[in-house]
Amino acid sequence: MFEIGPAGECGLRLVFGAEPHAALTGKLLSIQHSAQQHFGTDLKDSVVGYTTLTLFFEPLNIERDRAVAWLEESADADTDEAFLAQLAARPVVVLPVWYHPSVAPDLEWLAEEKALSVDNVIDLHSDPTYFAYATGFAPGFCYLGTTSPKLAVPRLATPRSEVPAGSVALADQQTAVYPGPSPGGWRLIGSCPLKLFDLKAAPHALLTIGDSVRFEPVSESEFRALGGSR
Amino acid sequence: MTVLHINRAGAASTVQDSGRIGTLQLGLPPSGAMDHPALVSGQHLLGHTHDEAAIEMAYANTEVTPDSSCLIAVTGAPVSLSVDGTPASNTEVLKINAGQRVSIKARSHGVYSYLHVSGGIATAAVLNSRSTSVREGIGGLAGTYLRDGDQLPIGSVNSDVITSNSSLPLPQSAPTLMLRFVPGFQYELLTEQAISSWLESEFKVTSRANRMGVALSGEPVNTGVTSLFSEATCYGAIQIPGDGNPIVLLNDRQTVGGYPKPGAVISSDCRRLAQARPGQRIRFVPCTPQEADRIAWLEQHYLETRLR
Repeated sequence: MFEIGPAGECGLRLVFGAEPHAALTGKLLSIQHSAQQHFGTDLKDSVVGYTTLTLFFEPLNIERDRAVAWLEESADADTDEAFLAQLAARPVVVLPVWYHPSVAPDLEWLAEEKALSVDNVIDLHSDPTYFAYATGFAPGFCYLGTTSPKLAVPRLATPRSEVPAGSVALADQQTAVYPGPSPGGWRLIGSCPLKLFDLKAAPHALLTIGDSVRFEPVSESEFRALGGSR
Repeated sequence: MTVLHINRAGAASTVQDSGRIGTLQLGLPPSGAMDHPALVSGQHLLGHTHDEAAIEMAYANTEVTPDSSCLIAVTGAPVSLSVDGTPASNTEVLKINAGQRVSIKARSHGVYSYLHVSGGIATAAVLNSRSTSVREGIGGLAGTYLRDGDQLPIGSVNSDVITSNSSLPLPQSAPTLMLRFVPGFQYELLTEQAISSWLESEFKVTSRANRMGVALSGEPVNTGVTSLFSEATCYGAIQIPGDGNPIVLLNDRQTVGGYPKPGAVISSDCRRLAQARPGQRIRFVPCTPQEADRIAWLEQHYLETRLR
């Protein structure tokens, strides 16, 4: 079940009426990939969200009705198996995390709030393999899901004016790492020493939509050896 | 290489060209000139054909000195211009000698003016654009606003300059600026009553207006939407946060968001909004994607004809 509508004067938005899940993200990524092949430079940009794919065209070069028809057909079709296989074959990205109150102002608070020990919180967070559903907010920021319901936590009512780079954070049943210092309302439970976004690296972002991601607890000395500088 | 000394930068001056393409999925906004036709008209005046960057000045209050002679043009919001203290034309290409002080001051209307220097501002391109994206700290001189004492490299001149004036004057804004928008995103989720009350209401531009977007105030819009999965925003997206006051997202917007958006303002009205000062009265008028295409085509044609 899907709908196609405008996204401004030069955009088309495909939205599926479903809860986010990995197979849907795979389908959206697959259509995004085909769109890049099909429209070439007439497609200026595109964004996959949790349940959406938004395409932005060079408005004077595109026939809207044809683009809508193409998108309809692509959304109706079965997802390209080879593309999904490629996605599934991506190695799990492992992110080291130093879970410690000195870099995680909400770690002890969260444990108390949820009637857990700090070690329980760390286990619950570092045990699952997460899926990267969306990017955005800031370059390198990747929305990972789904965390244990035991860790589900609302955002801060008043966001912090500055969250340090590398902060590992929770909100609702999502988790993420803040790539650079920025304001933020998520709860901070650890710090990752790796660079999430680097213009000098290729690709620029460490995480991309469709990745599988795991967090691995490390000690302070390992954190520092990996470049952590908090 | 010519260097442009920034004696006085002004409150929010940045290096901008037409912006980045293809960086949205990375989480990087396109940035680029808030008044794109004004950028293009200045590029045209100086014979620039490679999207040469200019200095974008918000409420200009800027003074610069080149270290060798060059040509300049100022476009966008009208300014008072003087060279070594002597008033000069603000609508023509001017020859500036090494060491002369060019002072640029905003006048009574508009927000963004553009200082073009022959050869273009030649700071390093990042992801194929020189545009500054302050929040992300990239582009421009050091990823941020220009500061007093900065020295900007100027590119070498290899083009013919058009000396006759064909810049596009910024028209005085109408008492009420009508923002045409293409309904979409969560439009269908709003009740008929919410839509009619929104479209009958008059809003005002607030002082919370910058390169990211322009916040409006007025009768709060009730979208009835409480939670959304994060999805792409777009240029002109009308974002309605919990307090019901619309924010129109512009060049330095966040690339994804979870607030409801009942549509997006067409690009030609986005730049009118960008040039509107706080207090400007605003109304929203729906238009079809086909009408939006036609307006975009007409504006491009107008620009090409004016700049021939």
